[in-house]
Amino acid sequence: MRIIVCAKHVFDSTEVRFNEDTKELLTVNVPVKISDYDRNALEAAVALKEAGDDVTVEVIMSGGQAALKTLKEAVAMGADKGYLLEGGWETAFDPMLSMRVLARAIEAIGGADLVLCGLVSEDGYNGLTPPAVAELLGVPYLAPVVNLSADDDTVTATMDLGDVLQTVRAPFPCVLGIDSSMNVPRLPTVLQVMKVKSDRVATLSLEDLGLPATALATEFSTVTLDRLESGAAPRKALIIEGSPEEAVPSLVTALEREGVLA
Amino acid sequence: MSPRIVVAGYDARGTGAAAAVAREMADSIGGAVDVVVLVPSAIPGTVEAFVEEAGLAGRAERVVAYELPPGHAYSGVTVADALVDAAAGNDVSAVVLADGPFAREAAARTAVRLDGACASMCSTVEAVAGNLVSVTRPAYGGVALAHLTLKASPAVVVLAPGGASAGTATGGAAPAVERKALTVSEVAGRVTVLDETPVVKTCDLEHAKVVVSVGRGFAKPADLEIIDDLVGLLDAEVGCSRPIAEDFKWLAKEHLVGLTGATVTPDLYLALGISGQVQHLAGIKGAKIVAAVNSDGRSPILKNADYALVGDLYKVVPALTEHLRKRKANGGAGG
Ligand SMILES: Cc1cc2nc3c(=O)[nH]c(=O)nc-3n(C[C@H](O)[C@H](O)[C@H](O)COP(=O)(O)OP(=O)(O)OC[C@H]3O[C@@H](n4cnc5c(N)ncnc54)[C@H](O)[C@@H]3O)c2cc1C
Repeated sequence: MRIIVCAKHVFDSTEVRFNEDTKELLTVNVPVKISDYDRNALEAAVALKEAGDDVTVEVIMSGGQAALKTLKEAVAMGADKGYLLEGGWETAFDPMLSMRVLARAIEAIGGADLVLCGLVSEDGYNGLTPPAVAELLGVPYLAPVVNLSADDDTVTATMDLGDVLQTVRAPFPCVLGIDSSMNVPRLPTVLQVMKVKSDRVATLSLEDLGLPATALATEFSTVTLDRLESGAAPRKALIIEGSPEEAVPSLVTALEREGVLA
Repeated sequence: MSPRIVVAGYDARGTGAAAAVAREMADSIGGAVDVVVLVPSAIPGTVEAFVEEAGLAGRAERVVAYELPPGHAYSGVTVADALVDAAAGNDVSAVVLADGPFAREAAARTAVRLDGACASMCSTVEAVAGNLVSVTRPAYGGVALAHLTLKASPAVVVLAPGGASAGTATGGAAPAVERKALTVSEVAGRVTVLDETPVVKTCDLEHAKVVVSVGRGFAKPADLEIIDDLVGLLDAEVGCSRPIAEDFKWLAKEHLVGLTGATVTPDLYLALGISGQVQHLAGIKGAKIVAAVNSDGRSPILKNADYALVGDLYKVVPALTEHLRKRKANGGAGG
């Protein structure tokens, strides 16, 4: 069985801040990482590899040269090989663009029986790129996957649809969106990351994929980012001082005045 | 040919909310609204009852009820099949979906097939000149709100989860109901459903008037008991932050509030020992009042709450419980 995991190199979203004056995201000195749910997808892939015979796991990482260490981390989780996608086109907001690059990359390295993706990415949180890849490849999409097994030519997955857990079976090939609650991703040690030899990582240029950067920016781009504003909801931010005995009655009075206590 | 907005939702509530958004868009560009429904699997009763329940009168000109062939169910593929069929031959400027099971898959597949643009978690959607659609949606988990123009047409948008409320039906003309057999893509037939297990819900965060939410400020699972009486007095539902549900698993995932969990819209959200990271705040933007108890005077929740009490929750929660108990004994509000 051949598994490809699509992973994204992102800034740690818990440390990104917004600058009210410049209306920009502050990412200087913010740590970078494998996008949250993609780590769950990697873990799921490596678990399938450990459970079966003759399973290979390959990772396609977006983010360009800056993502080389992130890719090595991903490979160190237990993948056989990693591919670094040429950068410059990445987007948090244009799943139709990401989908074209990823689908071409998957085809360029020979296709897969299973393509595993994180359900959503940490920066965009769209959850649209993986099903769009499935559509372009003409295969089923199963998500949000919380349980997974596979044999020689079929996959069995349980999807958490909110009010029902649905278990389905589908023949290869298939694209899966892995939920964060499916597993706890292993953390490779620094030594394991260092030991990822350069022959286990390769580069895929946009030219290789038949997608020149200029065309990506023009004919394949479907969304423009007009501006950003703070995501914080306006709140009163009133601090109630004093010991619990003093502060609690003040809080209750304030909440009564707001009309939010029955 | 007048431009059209095509709508789909998983249930009546979602469909009504999406149709309300589509109505405003259509009115601004002199267009019409078509609602797509799949029968029989998505609809328990008749199509007419669904139209009534979703409040589609005055919101949609046309409802197309697609009859699923035997053996097929509501899925990302079948919804996309219906949306693409409804769009065929029309000047469609946008497709609007309520978020829910299969919504994002249906949206993505529809956008690929119609060569459009696609965005999810949209809190506002507007039709602007020249078949363009502009939306706002979060960036980096809610740190910022991005204003986007979807320049490829049609724009396929999925509304923010829980964000759009259906509002009150405006009344007006009932939509024309059309019935059609759905031609299902081959790929839908490759998936076989083996089992369906209903998830027994023990909480209803989405509709709660008061939510008491717990975070890592609680030192151990047994300590969660200290909120029991408070929850009872406030007639609240219990929410939690991600570590409590996913890392420690002290509470089931259905209690999780935030980007990865529920979006809540209570009158009062009481955050106990929660630091207020953006991913958590993303789920409580619609709360009328946020109150917080946190021992750290620099915790981000203080700026993101209406009222914050800086103190040890292990002292504040019993004091608050006692105060509310006395208040209740004295006859409630103003007592
Ligand atoms: C992609 C992604 C998605 C995420 N989605 C979500 C989500 O949906 N929901 C969510 O909640 N998180 C989510 N997170 C995680 C989020 O970034 C935070 O890590 C999380 O919300 C922190 O939970 P917490 O506030 O309970 O813990 P902490 O950040 O550790 O905060 C604990 C707080 O308790 C206070 N405290 C400690 N002791 C006491 C005491 N005795 N009395 C009073 N206060 C005390 C501390 O001062 C601190 O402020 C997500 C993260 C990522 C990367």
